[in-house]
Amino acid sequence: MSFIEVNEVSKSFRISKRSAGIPGMLANLVVPKLEHKVAVKDISFSIEEGEMVGFIGPNGAGKSTTIKMLSGILYPDKGSIKVNNFTPYKQRKDYVGSIGVVFGQKSQLQWDLPVIDSFELLKAIYRIPEERYQKNLHRFMDMLDMAGFINQPVRQLSLGQRMRADIVAALLHSPKIVFFDEPTIGVDVVGKETIRNFICELNEKDKVTMIFTTHDMQDIEKTCKRLVIIDKGSKVYDGSLSGIRNTYGTTRQLDVEFTTDCTVAPIDKVEIRELDAPGGRKKRFLFENREVQIDSLMSTLLTTYHIRDLTVSEPEIEGLIRKIYNGEVS
Amino acid sequence: MKLSPYLAFAKKSFLSRSAYRFDHFMGILNTLLRIFIFWGIYLALYNGKSEVDGVTMTMVTTNFILSMGLSTVFCVNDFYLPSRIQNGSIANEMLLPVSIHGRMLADNLGNALFQLVFHFIPAVVISVLVIGIHAPASVAMFALFLLSAIFGYGVLWTISFALQMLAFWLINVWSIMTIKNVFINVLSGSMIPLWFMPDWMKGVLMFTPFSSIYFTPVQIYLGQLSVPEILKGFGIQLIWILVFVFLGKVLWKQGQKKLVVQGG
Repeated sequence: MSFIEVNEVSKSFRISKRSAGIPGMLANLVVPKLEHKVAVKDISFSIEEGEMVGFIGPNGAGKSTTIKMLSGILYPDKGSIKVNNFTPYKQRKDYVGSIGVVFGQKSQLQWDLPVIDSFELLKAIYRIPEERYQKNLHRFMDMLDMAGFINQPVRQLSLGQRMRADIVAALLHSPKIVFFDEPTIGVDVVGKETIRNFICELNEKDKVTMIFTTHDMQDIEKTCKRLVIIDKGSKVYDGSLSGIRNTYGTTRQLDVEFTTDCTVAPIDKVEIRELDAPGGRKKRFLFENREVQIDSLMSTLLTTYHIRDLTVSEPEIEGLIRKIYNGEVS
Repeated sequence: MKLSPYLAFAKKSFLSRSAYRFDHFMGILNTLLRIFIFWGIYLALYNGKSEVDGVTMTMVTTNFILSMGLSTVFCVNDFYLPSRIQNGSIANEMLLPVSIHGRMLADNLGNALFQLVFHFIPAVVISVLVIGIHAPASVAMFALFLLSAIFGYGVLWTISFALQMLAFWLINVWSIMTIKNVFINVLSGSMIPLWFMPDWMKGVLMFTPFSSIYFTPVQIYLGQLSVPEILKGFGIQLIWILVFVFLGKVLWKQGQKKLVVQGG
């Protein structure tokens, strides 16, 4: 039995659909049009204690719905969820004391009060012992560099400051599992880096189990070893980051700049593209890495032509993911 | 169930009330205006007579000073849950390891305490000094009045509690709450004392939740009820509280399955 066990879970919503304008409004008043939208369909996965897993998928893929079911907010229509021996949606009150959740788009801080007041309220709600509270607070404040704005009302914080405060708010009670739903949304480059380092350190040192969703591939590359891709409510990939390259990213690309304009004779199983005008100096060679040995290709080129510069590149993860979203690979 | 988180919620709502001082003074003025307008209306209706249908002018003024005074203390936020369902912040609410119903109550009670000290007492003292009021029938009756007022608040709160759950299905419950409040204003006896209602109507109203909110405590205060009638009054209040709590809990359970978190 794993720490987090999700078994064939489905969830659909009823959404009302109406056409635009006053006629649409009137029509909807008489006969409301409802549509079932499947948010999550038969998803299963399991996560071990201390793992850090990235959830990615296009908008509306069902990531947030999955997180909300895992955190006890939504009931699944079908299937079962077990986290740390709790059934989240049935034992919500007891369960949520052991988890922390950060919704990048929904702050849980008190809008009008200074950040520290929200923290004090959380201390009372979670009944955090004074000693542990002080220890956690100071440690997190140092790590996230928060001393400058801890006494400011939340409404006067920048988005990056608010996000850091929200992350601390979710962690003060030392949760065993933390769910991050887009924790870097709208945060600048430096802020993102701080948040990523913080997340990594917490996972490594404190062995906190983490699941997080994001649209920023760098978040995943810098933090998660394991990746789950969800699309249209179904799981389409579950494995390591490098596994994506092995599974989907088998194409290699060799860019060559020759010393003079030239034409290259066709090579078996290699696609040649002109980067300049046809017959120009710059060309791109595309091939499958299991079909063509890169060293033999290069030696062929080096012995036959004069070459000024040459670069080999693997496809970028972001590009591969885009292909998966677009259904270009299966 | 440990109390400390709920005390923290109550304290927070108590403190946040003191942030808007101008609004607070206007609130007291509003209550006084309502009381004085009703005083004026009943003065005109009584037209110098000392009693109408066996009801004295002092009984009438006592009724509306007490029930309008109590209504300032009986804080119920009809939109606590609906607004959170509507804007999606219900998600954050559910992540806290506390009972949401307990939190709703604590929030309202913190507010009620503030209202009791800074609104009810000044408004009632001024009204009593200017208009005058019936003294309580006895010390015992006054104690029973207080108890019955607490139960009255319980009825008022649980009606709202049960109706708020409808937001899981309807999202917007503004009109339902408005209808509920019209029923309470008209049928609870705070504007028109139930003494003036036809007997058959009074008989029916005494069994509804509405009359048990303000009218039962006021009758006890005035010493109009015998001990068995007082017990019956308490019984009716408690039964309604239980009915609405039960309804609310059932709807809550079903509603959670329907919950859609708005906005991503």
